[in-house]
Amino acid sequence: MLELDGLTKHFGGVRAVDKLSLSVKEGEIFGLIGPNGSGKSTTVNLICGVFPVTAGSIRFAGADITAAQPHQALAAGVVRTFQNIRLFSNLTVWQNLWVAQNGMESRKSENFLKRWLSGDAPARRSVEELLEFAGLIGRRDEYAGNLSFGEQRRLELGRALAAKPKMLLLDEPAAGMNLEEVGHLDQRLRKLVERGVTILLVEHVMELVMGVTDRIAVLNFGQKIAEGTPAEIQNDKAVQEAYLGGSSGS
Amino acid sequence: MDDHLIQVFSNVGMISFIALSAYVLLLTGEISFGQQAFFAISAYASGIATAMWGWAFWPGLVWGAAVAGAAAFLLAWPTLRMRGLYFAIGTLAFAEMVRLIFEIFRYQVEIEGELVGPDGSEGFRGIRYIFESDISATQYMLIIYLLLSAVLAFLFAIERTRLGAIFRMLGEDELLAEMQGVNRTYYKVMATVIAGVIAGIGGALYAHMNTYIEPKIFNVMLGVHSLAYGLIGGLGTAFGPLIGVGLDIGLLESTRIFTGYRMVVFGGLVALLLIFRPRGLLDEAAVHAIKSLWRRFLPAAQTQRSNNRAPD
Repeated sequence: MLELDGLTKHFGGVRAVDKLSLSVKEGEIFGLIGPNGSGKSTTVNLICGVFPVTAGSIRFAGADITAAQPHQALAAGVVRTFQNIRLFSNLTVWQNLWVAQNGMESRKSENFLKRWLSGDAPARRSVEELLEFAGLIGRRDEYAGNLSFGEQRRLELGRALAAKPKMLLLDEPAAGMNLEEVGHLDQRLRKLVERGVTILLVEHVMELVMGVTDRIAVLNFGQKIAEGTPAEIQNDKAVQEAYLGGSSGS
Repeated sequence: MDDHLIQVFSNVGMISFIALSAYVLLLTGEISFGQQAFFAISAYASGIATAMWGWAFWPGLVWGAAVAGAAAFLLAWPTLRMRGLYFAIGTLAFAEMVRLIFEIFRYQVEIEGELVGPDGSEGFRGIRYIFESDISATQYMLIIYLLLSAVLAFLFAIERTRLGAIFRMLGEDELLAEMQGVNRTYYKVMATVIAGVIAGIGGALYAHMNTYIEPKIFNVMLGVHSLAYGLIGGLGTAFGPLIGVGLDIGLLESTRIFTGYRMVVFGGLVALLLIFRPRGLLDEAAVHAIKSLWRRFLPAAQTQRSNNRAPD
């Protein structure tokens, strides 16, 4: 579904991502791990078009999205969440989901007058579904800035879903969560896969990565040093040296 | 109403257009010090159309606003690649450029033995369509407010649609908006053009009310004021900038109480508001609160509205 081929990004002299090739299959949860500064977030940013690519190509669902702008990547079905929570904190929970839905709809489908008169009834219904998925029905009129950390993370996930993604890029969704919340997140991710969403999971929290992913790639200094199932990765010598060995595993 | 009052209300109305123009860009998170350029371009273009080409007032006004919109479109492509502070400086430079071009712009024709048309820094005299057509000051004031209501209605309609939501998304967090599928360049160009046209309507009205325009009227202070109106009045609703204009033109400039101290009082007001209410008197939270209050006191209307309501 997602194929990176020789993906390279230089920031000045720094090779943030260096000839990275990997392929994520439809319907799987693919983990991308590595020490801090190994290029995981840069990879996510490249896939959704935040930075231009230095070299290499990105293919998604058969189409070349190497040079896509963020809104084009999104239109292709690639949706991301952020490492640091990013919400419209002056809007309510409901409004955050509402605008997320509006952003992605194509201009051509807009029948201005009809939508204006009906007050966008279908969009309203799907916001309700998203509220339920995120477990935020009771908090709908709260400003996003006033939510607890875990609730904000859930809102981010719900918002990402509002864009009807084929593929979700989750940039450290469990950062700062306690173990119980990580458990809930685990279940939510599995539910997403049942809905037909493919997931690329960038994560530090090993409990989540090892438990939920089908396959994992490990980055170090922008290069891929290993790829395999969670069990294989745990026993990989190079990985242990670069990452697990040095930081005791979580 | 006496003449002075009519004059004051007409001024408030005309300046409201440029304030709303700056407001549209503020919604999308861009600070422009250059909206006076579109005001000026339309003032000249519509004046040329009615005084020199013999057009009627309404086509002249539409023409002026269209030229201002086209100028905004041309400005938008290069400047919207700049962000934040750089955009502000870019628009300022553009506006000064436009003003300096009008300082040397000469285009005159002889009408009834008299030279009419822009004469560089001497200005542009004889935009007399309104007076020659026997439109009274009161009628002209009504025309101004008719157009202002139309622009306000347009802005409120936008607020209800996804376009309004997109403008506010861009204003709050550009990157996040892009990540949610907003084509940043497209919508920012659109906002700039809408803002240019709105300023243009005001410019055409201004030229025809005063019959005389000169480049130095359209200096940077006009642009600074138009920004300040939105910041004082609030960015939560299009009524915000109008409150700002009302306070400044209606209260400070037109009454004699603060003669000589107008800028001191105005500047102090801006400073105080930026400290205590950074998004103005009627900011988003205030608008939200007023709307909820409204709904609580009108429970009958609520059921109908809840089916029919875009986010506040």
